[in-house]
Amino acid sequence: MMISVRDLQVRYAGRLVADVPELDVGAGECVAIVGESGSGKSTTLLSLLGLTENAEISGRVRVCGVDVLTASPKALREIRGARAALVMQSPQAALSPATRLGTLMRRALKLHGRQGNDVDAALEAVVLDREILRRYPHEVSGGQAQRFAIALAIALGAEVILADEPTSALDVTVQAEVVGVLRRLRAERDLALLLVSHDLALVSTIADRVLVMKDGAVVESGPAAEVLAEPAHPYTRELLEALP
Amino acid sequence: MTDVQPLRRSLPRIPDRFAAFGAVLLAVVVLAALLAPWLAPYPLDEPRPLERLLPPSGAHWFGTDQVGRDVLTRILYGGRTSLTIAVAVLGVSAAVGVTLGVVAGYAGGWVRDVIMRVTDVFLAFPALLLSLALAVVLQPSVNTVILAIAVTWWPWYTRLAASVAASIATRPYVDAARCLGVPAPLIIVRHVLPNSLTPVLVQLSLDAGGVILTSAALSYLGLGAQEPTAEWGLMVQQGQTLFTTNWWVVTFPGLAILVTAFAFNVLGEGLRNALDPRRAVK
Amino acid sequence: MTMLRAERVTLGYGRRPVVHEVSLDITEGGVGLIGESGSGKTTLARAFLGLLSPMSGDIWYGDRPLRKADLRAFRRDVQPVFQAEALDPRMRVGRSVAEALPRAARSRVGELLEQVGLDPALADRRPHQLSGGQRQRVVIARALAVGPRLLILDEPTSALDVTVQARILDLLAALDTERLLITHNLAVVERLCRTSHVLFAGRVVESGPTAELLASPAHPYTRALRDAVPKLGGPPPQARGRTEAVPAATGCPFRLRCPLAVPQCEQAPALRDVDGRRVACHRAEDVLSS
Repeated sequence: MMISVRDLQVRYAGRLVADVPELDVGAGECVAIVGESGSGKSTTLLSLLGLTENAEISGRVRVCGVDVLTASPKALREIRGARAALVMQSPQAALSPATRLGTLMRRALKLHGRQGNDVDAALEAVVLDREILRRYPHEVSGGQAQRFAIALAIALGAEVILADEPTSALDVTVQAEVVGVLRRLRAERDLALLLVSHDLALVSTIADRVLVMKDGAVVESGPAAEVLAEPAHPYTRELLEALP
Repeated sequence: MTDVQPLRRSLPRIPDRFAAFGAVLLAVVVLAALLAPWLAPYPLDEPRPLERLLPPSGAHWFGTDQVGRDVLTRILYGGRTSLTIAVAVLGVSAAVGVTLGVVAGYAGGWVRDVIMRVTDVFLAFPALLLSLALAVVLQPSVNTVILAIAVTWWPWYTRLAASVAASIATRPYVDAARCLGVPAPLIIVRHVLPNSLTPVLVQLSLDAGGVILTSAALSYLGLGAQEPTAEWGLMVQQGQTLFTTNWWVVTFPGLAILVTAFAFNVLGEGLRNALDPRRAVK
Repeated sequence: MTMLRAERVTLGYGRRPVVHEVSLDITEGGVGLIGESGSGKTTLARAFLGLLSPMSGDIWYGDRPLRKADLRAFRRDVQPVFQAEALDPRMRVGRSVAEALPRAARSRVGELLEQVGLDPALADRRPHQLSGGQRQRVVIARALAVGPRLLILDEPTSALDVTVQARILDLLAALDTERLLITHNLAVVERLCRTSHVLFAGRVVESGPTAELLASPAHPYTRALRDAVPKLGGPPPQARGRTEAVPAATGCPFRLRCPLAVPQCEQAPALRDVDGRRVACHRAEDVLSS
């Protein structure tokens, strides 16, 4: 298992905001956490990389074989950004505006001691031209920035990608392209993909398994095809019926 | 939509406590100035030539100055002058500056161009030069100081208010009001002005210290408050030659300026956070 | 006679046009304006609301161009429903609604809130004390306050959770006003609009009955849009053509992204009637038959 979670509970100021009894993602597998705003889905994702500030976390979280909650800062850094990459909703906001993408890529590789890795292959995998390395973040579109973020993960040798609403800020035609890239990487490189999304239809086209969250709790989980075809929980049914 | 709100909610609320500290400090300064007649250990303007330049002691906590006046007494009374100058300058500057600014920002086009060019003209004059010119025409006095500083101070608020108002003017709620046929002056008063005020208020409190320091500089040039008026800037200016020999004459009024400027600043920093409507009580 | 229509309208900010010679009638049964970011759809909506004057061409309100029309009557007839931030953050929402009412009718605020399914007691709240769905209902209540005949809806649900979105759509569908809906969401258009126009780079590339447009698109861009929308349990969304290519400055604006582009596309295609709709594509017949 690339990601293995047992009895994860995340609290802010004593209030339980995410309660996930069990979550496993294997290599080459895609698991999606679905929910609306306030469901705790993003909190869950961030806590897997130890990125929740001021939160009290209990349970057991293993990512790439490392116990995240007890790991040393050094071990955590090795996981974060290298073996397990985070892809966010608006990557452009996370890119330093005065740094060319190529410089950014080089620095990231150096930081994790992976200078030898193949940047060209990574760019090719996300259908980006090498020319993009010369550009500044504001000179690329939202879809290109998102694919660059994924290319960065590939170049660093990521085994796990955690994506938080990676396409919800994009136009549908661009979303289709990014989803296509993720699907292909998963198949070709055996990536483990944990996807957080509000879009059930999108999730149904890519995920093997689904967790439905509401108000911090997992209300239903199982194989995507089963959960979406025969939802057991009324909230899942409500979500499905709300689809236009 | 991502649900990372818990993150923000869990941030410590230090900025608000900071603002409260500034407000309390400022309240102490203002109260001390208001209650000067009761708090002051000696009557104002009672020179005692025999008690010149006494160091701080039980009788004179902050010592006495070169004509034998109690420094603490003059600082308490001086606070009235300095705070009056600060409030008057900021009040006048903000009233003029913000009014022109929100009109320029909302209207845009040639209205904005005209207002901003006039503003630039005022900004082109060095503050002290303009004040000098005013002092030639008017008597040097506290009122002259207020007028002179205000004349050079308001354009900054016009600039600030114009840029904020221009961004507010593009908000959907302003468009919605326009679509309802609400007349422009009402839109400005109801929607643009209230939503542009936060940065201006913050800037005002950050600037208060600067006004007090500027008025001190004008006093130094002999353009401001005149002897025997008690005013902090004047006290510093008159005492500065004594700094090496009789440090208390200049140090305590200087500290009064520092503490007041600091209090306003802390308040301003805190207001920046506290005034955000989205952070208001749940 | 339609209440509002655009005739060869070119719109822009400064001297740069972003909408090029668009003609469009707001007909009965709901009109959808479909486009992605940069398509000019919001700019066009602002022109229909009289918030932006055309660089050339005219918006017609009844039998007069908007610039010569009775604005008071126009403001009563046509109201916007914007997406986010459409309420003054400092104003109690009851006052926001009351702003639309004449002084004598202020008591109707509660009634209007009830009409959009809100507890009248919420009138004393400020926007940040309401949920996204409640805020959007307040925005709709304010628009309804003046008794408009046409609502211009600019992405009215795209910031909302899906379950909330569904209820707002029900509310909008039940209103007896005409509507112009601006959105990137094809499913929403399908629910609320009988007729649709697809906008690409400031130009209408295809217009027609919504159902037919989505069932068998005649423009390659309409088809790309439709195929990109993920469907529950359906095949993975398809990306056709190169989405990062910028719109072409000459000829057909879509040609650099178009998988069907031929040399002829360097000549700008005019809108023409094909199979019951209007399409600006030299290869519309090929798109329909493939």
